[in-house]
Amino acid sequence: MTTTRPLTRVVVVGNGMVGSRFVDDLLSRDGTGDTARFDVTVLGAEEYDPYNRVLLSDVVAGKVDVASLALPALTHERATVHRGTSVVHIDRADRRVLTADGAVHPYDALVLATGSAARVPDVDGIGTGGPLPAGVHALRTLDDAREIVAATVNARTAVVVGAGVLGLEAACGLARRGLAVTVVHGGATVMDRQLAPDAGAVAARTLTHLGVAQRTGARTERVVLGAGRAAAVEVALADGTTETLPADLVVLACGTVPETAAAVAAGLPVDRGVVVTAALASPADARVFAVGDCAQPPEGATGLIAQGWDQSRRLAEHLAAGAAGAAGVAADGADDDHVGGRVRLAGERLSPGRPSMALRLSMNVVTRPAAETAPVASIGASGTADPTVRPTQADDEASRGTDVVRLKAAGLDVVTMGVCGARRTPQPGARTVSLSDPDAGRHVEVVVADGFVVGATCVGAPQLGADLTAAYTRRTPVPADPAHLLVQPVATATVAASDPTHMPDRTTVCRCNGVSKGDIVGCWQHGARSVEDIAKATRATTGCGGCKDLVCGIADWLTASTPAEEPDAPLLVEPDDVVALHESHRGNVKVLD
Amino acid sequence: MTTTDTTVPADAPARDASAGTATHCPYCALQCAMTLTPPVGTAGAAGAPGSADGTDGPPVVVDGRDFPTNKGGLCQKGWTSATVLGVPDRLTTPLVRGDDGELRAATWDEALDVVADAAARIAAEHGRDSVAVFGGGGLTNEKAYTLGKFARTVLRTANIDYNGRFCMASAAAGANRAFGVDRGLPFPLADVGGAQAVLLLGSNLSETMPPSVQHLAGARERGGLVVVDPRRSATASLTDDGAGVHLQVVPGTDLVVLLALLHVVWAEGLGDAAFLADRTTGADDVRRSVATWWPERSEQVCGVAADELRRVARLLAAASPARGGAGAYVLTGRGVEQSTQGTATVTAAINLALALGLVGRPGSGYGAVTGQGNGQGGREHGQKADQLPGYRKIDDPAAREHVAAVWGVDPATIPGPGLPAVELLRRLGQPAEPATDRQAARPAGPRMLLVHGSNLVVSAPRSRQVTANLEALDMLVVCDFVPSETARLADVVLPVTQWAEEEGTMTSLEGRVIRRRRAIAPPDGVRSELDVLADLARRLGSDVHFPTDPAEVFDELARASAGGPADYSGLSHARLDADPDLFWPCLAPGATAPAGPDGTVPDAAPHPGTPRLFLDGFPTPDGRARMVPVDHVGPSDDLRPDAPLYLVTGRVLQHYQSGAQTRRVPELDRAVAAPFVEIHPVLAHRLGITEGASVRVESRRGAVVAAARLTTTARPDTVFMPFHWAGTGSVNRITTDATDPISGMPEFKVCAVDVSLAGTVVLPDALSPTSAEVLL
Repeated sequence: MTTTRPLTRVVVVGNGMVGSRFVDDLLSRDGTGDTARFDVTVLGAEEYDPYNRVLLSDVVAGKVDVASLALPALTHERATVHRGTSVVHIDRADRRVLTADGAVHPYDALVLATGSAARVPDVDGIGTGGPLPAGVHALRTLDDAREIVAATVNARTAVVVGAGVLGLEAACGLARRGLAVTVVHGGATVMDRQLAPDAGAVAARTLTHLGVAQRTGARTERVVLGAGRAAAVEVALADGTTETLPADLVVLACGTVPETAAAVAAGLPVDRGVVVTAALASPADARVFAVGDCAQPPEGATGLIAQGWDQSRRLAEHLAAGAAGAAGVAADGADDDHVGGRVRLAGERLSPGRPSMALRLSMNVVTRPAAETAPVASIGASGTADPTVRPTQADDEASRGTDVVRLKAAGLDVVTMGVCGARRTPQPGARTVSLSDPDAGRHVEVVVADGFVVGATCVGAPQLGADLTAAYTRRTPVPADPAHLLVQPVATATVAASDPTHMPDRTTVCRCNGVSKGDIVGCWQHGARSVEDIAKATRATTGCGGCKDLVCGIADWLTASTPAEEPDAPLLVEPDDVVALHESHRGNVKVLD
Repeated sequence: MTTTDTTVPADAPARDASAGTATHCPYCALQCAMTLTPPVGTAGAAGAPGSADGTDGPPVVVDGRDFPTNKGGLCQKGWTSATVLGVPDRLTTPLVRGDDGELRAATWDEALDVVADAAARIAAEHGRDSVAVFGGGGLTNEKAYTLGKFARTVLRTANIDYNGRFCMASAAAGANRAFGVDRGLPFPLADVGGAQAVLLLGSNLSETMPPSVQHLAGARERGGLVVVDPRRSATASLTDDGAGVHLQVVPGTDLVVLLALLHVVWAEGLGDAAFLADRTTGADDVRRSVATWWPERSEQVCGVAADELRRVARLLAAASPARGGAGAYVLTGRGVEQSTQGTATVTAAINLALALGLVGRPGSGYGAVTGQGNGQGGREHGQKADQLPGYRKIDDPAAREHVAAVWGVDPATIPGPGLPAVELLRRLGQPAEPATDRQAARPAGPRMLLVHGSNLVVSAPRSRQVTANLEALDMLVVCDFVPSETARLADVVLPVTQWAEEEGTMTSLEGRVIRRRRAIAPPDGVRSELDVLADLARRLGSDVHFPTDPAEVFDELARASAGGPADYSGLSHARLDADPDLFWPCLAPGATAPAGPDGTVPDAAPHPGTPRLFLDGFPTPDGRARMVPVDHVGPSDDLRPDAPLYLVTGRVLQHYQSGAQTRRVPELDRAVAAPFVEIHPVLAHRLGITEGASVRVESRRGAVVAAARLTTTARPDTVFMPFHWAGTGSVNRITTDATDPISGMPEFKVCAVDVSLAGTVVLPDALSPTSAEVLL
């Protein structure tokens, strides 16, 4: 091991959920002291420590304490964090980044983790480019969430533009705070990217019950201002009429736009996001990488944090492995996901081998652009969304589990994964089983192909959603009849202590001592006449005592069904007989659960 | 005296013909109190040896005895425990393997000479560390202490570890790091009875220590029992009918449940902020680390619905003293600890208990439910690779000096830390390995192993490899009282006393030091391990004194432990006979606590022992509990296309550990005679498996075959097998030996397998692993 080589300088632009995670991933793979190989500089635009953006809608809903959003701050000795710093220029020729405060940060490897910004629709009253009018808010940053919460104090009516995942979470959260809420959505149903019409209809009913009104197939025309602040929203409805919805508060949930300005200015290939290879490197510059929402990998960006965290891990492994070579940048991005076995780091944090399921699973950060306003072409850039492109097995494996979408709106449970809603495409050999129970707010559907769950939609069935997620992400074998995935067997009825009549003789009464009802009946026939006698003869009730009521019930039943006899009849069983009896009933005892 | 006397000492306490002998069960850490009396009609024959000749029934009659832990209750194992005293194949003579490869009876002189000669020769040829010792969590404190002393002063080998590494190492590592001390339950078990909520992770108490379930009644009445288990186990069923909540997690993801609960506690402001500020460090780091484990994300990993996680967090918080509740406990067991992230999981459980302000308050707390009979004491007295008596660290110069003085040796002669159990077993009989890209160079592994109180062939992970390594040794010596599967591989088998034939102490799951008492004399030809080790020391030319009277050994152990975290210096057999309610630390009069708040004990009054730890502080340098952030990584052997199902392992009520004892009890053997595979009916249907069919379960390490048991208590993605058997259904043949990076504990509890119908051929339950391999 070379110990005198200068450290590889890594500059990370972005200190959000993915940028900060990447630094931690990278430095946790680095050596210490003489074996240290990386020196990291982080340039963050926000003034805050990294925080969990996914929970902003929970802040709006009043479900979580803002302090609980704080993510681990980078305290590593070889990580320097600059907060509230904006990048002015990336000088690729000289390999340095210039920031607004005039500082220059040279790099050997540059990692863009700039994330994305809320997409502000081009609607009258909102303007373009400038600050939003009072009462109109996006929901992308901690400041956005705080402002919305502050606004709810005086607002009575709210309109949420966009009924994707974030829009519904915000709408339900505002309804939970007592506001009259309407969501306006261009698609035919809410969450139409994930939900087919029948599932969307069930979700819509639940939303209505939660006090969230909906206008679907509707276009937001104008935000009406009064005294310089939001007063109403004008909506063009599907039938051609226009409706004016009163709105003291307007929340824009129209998707996100990758933050690519610095990359564009640096002459890097940018499509919807910063174009990167499978190795997360720019095809134009092997020293520049992009991860998270700002990146556009070959398989397409999902906008889900799981994808960003998975990229973070892969890039950290890649750089850590490559640092042994020149300049810390390896030539290709061979993913060693499937190397057998696994080597643990000394710590407990991460494994560099097979990706942790935990890292690969997550939920959405934010909705993709709503169909209402998003250009179709840019949505189609997502490889997995394109019906003509079947992912290869390797792609499938790499991305599997990172496309589970889990709504976390109070009162409305929705989980979708894989083949669902807008992504539903005919697949040879696939079977789709659905169960719709709209009156109970439930609609579930599962798509099975080649013996595996390849897609599912669950509305109003939270535990089933969790079970299907496990089956989908882990590719466990599905039942011969996929309907069994949706219909859970009723739990085996437990035996009622008060009714031993119909209890089979083989039923275990006392688990601690393996005593069946038949054993107890047998000892009764040999003269036992009380719970104490039964305990002495069979040891029932002498372990945890949990079966005492049951044994009492059986004794009562036996008393009732035994012909009257002299009171205080002595126990007819001699000690030796008790042992023999006990043994004789042991052979056919079977513990039933 | 030695315990080979065939008469009962007249001065033995707490024993007379009418009252019987007050002792405790030979099996698990609950150590249920029992009374042993002579069989009816043989009242005068209490001194007769166990019926090794195979006649009549057990030599003593067992009855439950009222005690705070078991309240008089016993499970089927306990009730039938006396049968083991008189099993027909009880070992009563040493056995030495002859040149023809057969084990033959030998005299003690012959057998001990073979052992001593081999130890001397192998140490001389290959170095002292080439002679290794493997102990057990079932040994009395006196035996565990003597074994460690023997290894360090006579063999002077670094390589001694014990099967507790399979059981308690992760809980110990987690507790030591957080609290500065490791006592399984730092409170009396009976305290749990008053709690409003109990969170039980990875523990199936209803089957593993049934009488303890009595202490869950209070929480159940209040709807507060929460059981986290991939199976709807007997214990999970205790949550039925509103008694609580069962979280049926994906195997290997219990840690995620804990991280999610922590997340909710902070997100919803349910924690005990004052407690965190006053009594802990690191809370902010932990709070930030769980910010990424919001319930909906956790749900996708652990398979428990998000709102269910929230409900449980609120239930626990409502029970916490800070919120006016009647108290809550967080308890962990092997199900979560036998994992490559076992220490992390224990740490998360401790973090949760700390966040809710449960620790160090009467009526609340965190505890690990110790498994083996003396799993607690066994880890305190020096049979762990890195420890000296009193739970001292072997690399601490002050500890070495203190213990060396008690032993009468030069501190410099005490070896340093040795290999932990799994690594030790991996290295047995192996040649030296040069350095490679993946690992540093390794010296040659041990050539000789002494095994005490352990049946490695059945109980070790990846057991066929372990068996092969045992076979590669120059000399395997096994002390046991029955011909266990491991004993049958040995070059020398030494027959030793058991349970009702010996005096000693055990330290139960709650840190209570209890007396094991002799009710009958051992059979002729059987010796105590105290006696065996003293004899071997003499034959090996050691001048270190090895007392053989258990009371005398205990007194020396107490002196050696003085000042250590597990301080027994205020205890003696006589004091324990007078007072059954003594919990360590219990300091000698005038002694000062090693750390923490106890201060100087008045000279006059004996130290009262410590039923509840941490009431005034933690024995850490700053007196605060340390909270450490941990994260979920997942099982080492996770699902893959050719192994798409999880295998989890565990126990049945009727059997204990490797089954070496319980399989010899006809009543228990009849109740559950063979291993089985629990499988969900829907999965069985898909795989074409019917009830009772032979099922083949295959992992990367091999395959086993056992009968199918269809049950809806299983997850459809998970099969379960109990581990008490040898042969083709011995599940530890296919478990992984990957270990926790901190505790060295193997991941017994979860691996990836393929499951298929084995066909109708019934495979013989062969003892020899090789014949099974051929068939499989």
